[in-house]
Amino acid sequence: MPTVVLLDSSLSMTRPVSVEGSEEFQRKNLAVHGLTMLFEHMATNYRLEFTSLVAFSSLWELLVPFSRDYNTLQEALNNLEDYDKTCLEAALQGVSNVVQQEWGTSCPCQVVLVTDGALGIGRGSLRHSLQTVKQRVDDKKFPLPFPFPSKLYVMCIANAEELQATDSMDNLEQLINLNGGEGQIYTMEGPLCLKSVQSMFGKLIDQAYSPFHAVLRCGNLTSDVQVFPRPEPVTIDEEVDPIPKTVQTDLEIVGFIEIGDISSPPVLSRHLVLPIAVSKEGDEIGTGATDDTEEETSTNQMAGKSPNFCVLLHGSLKVEGMVALVQLGPDWFGMLYSQADSKKKSNLMMSLFDPGSEPLPWLGRMSQLGPASDAAENPYGEDDSKSPFPIQPKHKRSYAQNVTVWIKASGLQTDVQKILRNAKKLPEKTQTFYKELNRLRKAALAFGFWELLKSVAELLERECTLLPDSAHPDAAFQLSHAAQQLKLASSGDSKYAAFEQNITPMLTDFSGGGGADRI
Amino acid sequence: MFSVSHKTAFVVDHCPYMAESSRQLIECDMLTKSRSQGVIPLAPVSKSLWTCAIECSMEYCRILFDVYPTWKLVNYIVSDSEVHILNSWKQEDQNTHELMAALAAVGPPNPRQDPECCSVLHGLVAAVESLCKITEYQHESRTTLMDTADRVANRGRIICLTNAKSDTHVRMLEDCVLETIQEQNKRAAGSDRLMPIQQCELVLVHIYPQGEETLVSDRQKKELSSMLSSEVHSVRAGRYLASKLNVLVQQHFDLASTTITNIPMKEEQHANTSANYDVELLHHRDAHMEFIKSGDLHMAGSTSRDSGLKETVTLKWCTPRTNSVELHYCTGAYRISPVDVNSRPSSCLTNFLLNGRSVLLEQPRKSGSKVISHMLSSHGGEIFLHVLNSTRSTLEDPPSISEGCGGRVTDYRITDFGEFMRENRLTPFPDSMIDAAGRTPVERAKSQLERYTRYWPMIISQTTIFNMQAVVPLANLIVKDTLTDEDVLTCQKTVYNLVDMERKSDPLPISTVGSRGKGPKRDEQYRIMWNELETLVKAHVGTSERHQRVLECISACRSKPPEEEERKKRGRKREDKEDKTEKNGKDTEEKGWTTDSERLKGVMEREKDEQSECEIIKDSPDSPEPLNKKPRLATEEQQPPEKSKE
Repeated sequence: MPTVVLLDSSLSMTRPVSVEGSEEFQRKNLAVHGLTMLFEHMATNYRLEFTSLVAFSSLWELLVPFSRDYNTLQEALNNLEDYDKTCLEAALQGVSNVVQQEWGTSCPCQVVLVTDGALGIGRGSLRHSLQTVKQRVDDKKFPLPFPFPSKLYVMCIANAEELQATDSMDNLEQLINLNGGEGQIYTMEGPLCLKSVQSMFGKLIDQAYSPFHAVLRCGNLTSDVQVFPRPEPVTIDEEVDPIPKTVQTDLEIVGFIEIGDISSPPVLSRHLVLPIAVSKEGDEIGTGATDDTEEETSTNQMAGKSPNFCVLLHGSLKVEGMVALVQLGPDWFGMLYSQADSKKKSNLMMSLFDPGSEPLPWLGRMSQLGPASDAAENPYGEDDSKSPFPIQPKHKRSYAQNVTVWIKASGLQTDVQKILRNAKKLPEKTQTFYKELNRLRKAALAFGFWELLKSVAELLERECTLLPDSAHPDAAFQLSHAAQQLKLASSGDSKYAAFEQNITPMLTDFSGGGGADRI
Repeated sequence: MFSVSHKTAFVVDHCPYMAESSRQLIECDMLTKSRSQGVIPLAPVSKSLWTCAIECSMEYCRILFDVYPTWKLVNYIVSDSEVHILNSWKQEDQNTHELMAALAAVGPPNPRQDPECCSVLHGLVAAVESLCKITEYQHESRTTLMDTADRVANRGRIICLTNAKSDTHVRMLEDCVLETIQEQNKRAAGSDRLMPIQQCELVLVHIYPQGEETLVSDRQKKELSSMLSSEVHSVRAGRYLASKLNVLVQQHFDLASTTITNIPMKEEQHANTSANYDVELLHHRDAHMEFIKSGDLHMAGSTSRDSGLKETVTLKWCTPRTNSVELHYCTGAYRISPVDVNSRPSSCLTNFLLNGRSVLLEQPRKSGSKVISHMLSSHGGEIFLHVLNSTRSTLEDPPSISEGCGGRVTDYRITDFGEFMRENRLTPFPDSMIDAAGRTPVERAKSQLERYTRYWPMIISQTTIFNMQAVVPLANLIVKDTLTDEDVLTCQKTVYNLVDMERKSDPLPISTVGSRGKGPKRDEQYRIMWNELETLVKAHVGTSERHQRVLECISACRSKPPEEEERKKRGRKREDKEDKTEKNGKDTEEKGWTTDSERLKGVMEREKDEQSECEIIKDSPDSPEPLNKKPRLATEEQQPPEKSKE
């Protein structure tokens, strides 16, 4: 889940903070201090997160595009300049553009807005933006809610009292509401100082950047893992009981399925599953990432040399071309598989299915999947030539069952032509002739289209008179028989017009030796 | 969950005036080349208003059932002097075949029936009554919710296909529906099997013959009361009606249209040429979410079609095709229904997909690189439009698994775990399959995994017994939930066989990692092997009395000190000879190990160092072929190098 840090660099951020000590701080220094702490946390515990830095005043500027290089981010932060007034709407629009260009509209993003809460005056101020939010034309819409799933965290380098004294707090709250309630406002507690800014950013880190640790389990084989990005709670769009579902920290494998059988299933999100070593004190000593400090290197090497279940699982999944089904919570499943990137580096990946008892129609109900060895007969066949998947639905779809549709004249004409074509090749095509004839008859009866039956009967009678002398004698018999049956059906007489009934070929002296039974 | 689209009641007018011709003529006597001259072509046929209504409503249902095989239900009602209810809300009644059969039984309207006693009103009343009836889904939901059962909603839609006399007539029909709802809601309040209607949408479609002026005016959706809204569509019969119902089914069920373009198809006449065709598909509109949100809908090649009523997004057929063993990152999959189901291009495309092939679809862009955004693929006879992620991944360039914990270990039992995964593959069981202990299949799968992993060393150098073919029969059986007497016998035979090996002093595949020289002495090797075997069996001893018997057999048979002494005396002389065979044995085994290590290399892309430290003997050369070691292992040995190239 990429992060955009949107940093207020208007002049009001340079306001000094009164501190009893010797040094004098500006609000900007506190903001930089807090963000430094956030970047340091990410560099150690969340280093796969892409972060970008945008500074804004009346204009906005992308200082660092999405990157995992926290040194560059830190550097840009340290070299920040001061500009004019605050104009939040343009900056939010900028964030929206930056995110969409990089990640499209389906990737969830976190936006961390750092401001002193002085949100501008007059045109371009947040107050003005919010007042006019309902009067916008289509191409000048307010950037919130963002078109991508998002969380907006507002970090105020100010305390709550200060913000409530003006309408700043109200405006910020409105901002969160505009984003569908997705987000939160953080304010500083007590005097504005390094300590309180630390505590505020600490809360943000706990809320949004705490790594997700879990235990991956396959029976008695286990591995401690970090799941990245961390899976967020999911609310199913149901009117009856919308309770957000969270992924449990015990990821239990329930069994295995071939990749061909699971067949590119739709997923909610994808996550890396990184094995982690947990030391006796419970501290994590490395998530398997690169660029370790020297101290970590030795412990990491140790961890690298002791067997880990994730590596075994990954290797076998890759070689066998299989996925492991994993239970994420009650009635919620996902899959583990090996994923290789363009550089041939490969990894254990976990995808989450939609919560619910039957996320994939071709697998059926998840709770009804059991060990193949329990089945009376091996569903995969003794030589692995069969598969119990995909599950076939009870009824075939229209495109799989040769339905009759005559909405366009061409549909009807094609069907009549098919009958005539076969009529000309009687008796060789007797079976096909009657099959097509019965298909037309059924549809005509259902649609109450008796006139068509009469017409086709006439066509067949005429075909009969046009038969060449060389024609097989059976042809004439079959044509007049079929024509007569159609006419009877067109009378609506229940004896001849039953839907399930079929016109069968006439038994003639010739048909025994003819082609009737052969096809 | 229970929106208006959960229940759709179709009411089709079957009164005498519906027998009137639509006056759209269809030529069904097409002149063909072979036709001899002088034949007068037959007069064209024309459909009645009834036929037009039926086939368009069937088309509506066809699309609906294709896209939503469950949860969206249709109740089909025909009205003349009485009411004919052709099906119920039951899921099993929801298919076009049943409806067609029932319609055939009703037949076309009888023009000679007394018009005075016929009315579509009977059908509308029946439709309201029907909407009050609880569906299986509502029932299930109410049962699971218990206390909060009243939160299950009851909404529905009535689509009435009729020929109305005037706007006043339409208002009369609306009033009747409103009154009936109020009446029925009172009744429903006191019943368990009925539910009051909270919201009902009435869609009145007035059908009139071509070439006539309409007597009824179109009207947008209007709230008649808090429960009832109504809209009126005045449509000419024939293709206008068909496209109107096509638009309605899209509106009613949140569908959108995609046109697959550039489908290469062989020409019927000239088999060696191919032309490009287009096929239009309907599906849930979420498949276009990315376009809608990014405002790209028009850029993505969307165009207005036909009557200008609907929009379609154009996606291009893309070669090369994909294969089924590739796992695409797919963010959604939606069932499709072809708009023109039995046209040649449509059936060509659907048959191609039903035969198990998949097609990637490309977003046509004016400039820039090609973006593959969707994939068509069938699963179990149903075709789905998969939405593929086409934007940059946030997970790019992750650290390789070989750089993390356990990444430096080279001798994982990859092949053995692969075998383990095959043995623990899943299969669907019927809904009623719950075992004696009341466990669902998925719980049984978990408990099987627990049993199979009670003793499962992850690396080759950690185990002796799992590197010995001779142990396989026992190792396969002991993890099972129940053993037969025959199974116990097989296990005992395995143990006797090991005893025999020990007596002959056969070499064992003991790992020498970390130790210098030749490793442990032969006696010590067997002691290690017996200990490991005991560990394995002890882990399962609690499962049953027969499992216990296997352990007893091992305890009774395993090497005892006196015997060892005796063998030592006898064995001295043979040792030189043995060493030779052992070496030979090692050579052949080392080959096996090499292929194995190559696989590991392929899997973990790692350096070669440290490997020479391991010397593994996969098996004793003269151990007998086990009974149920699967032959597929042999073929498997040949496959992996190919796979690991990926």
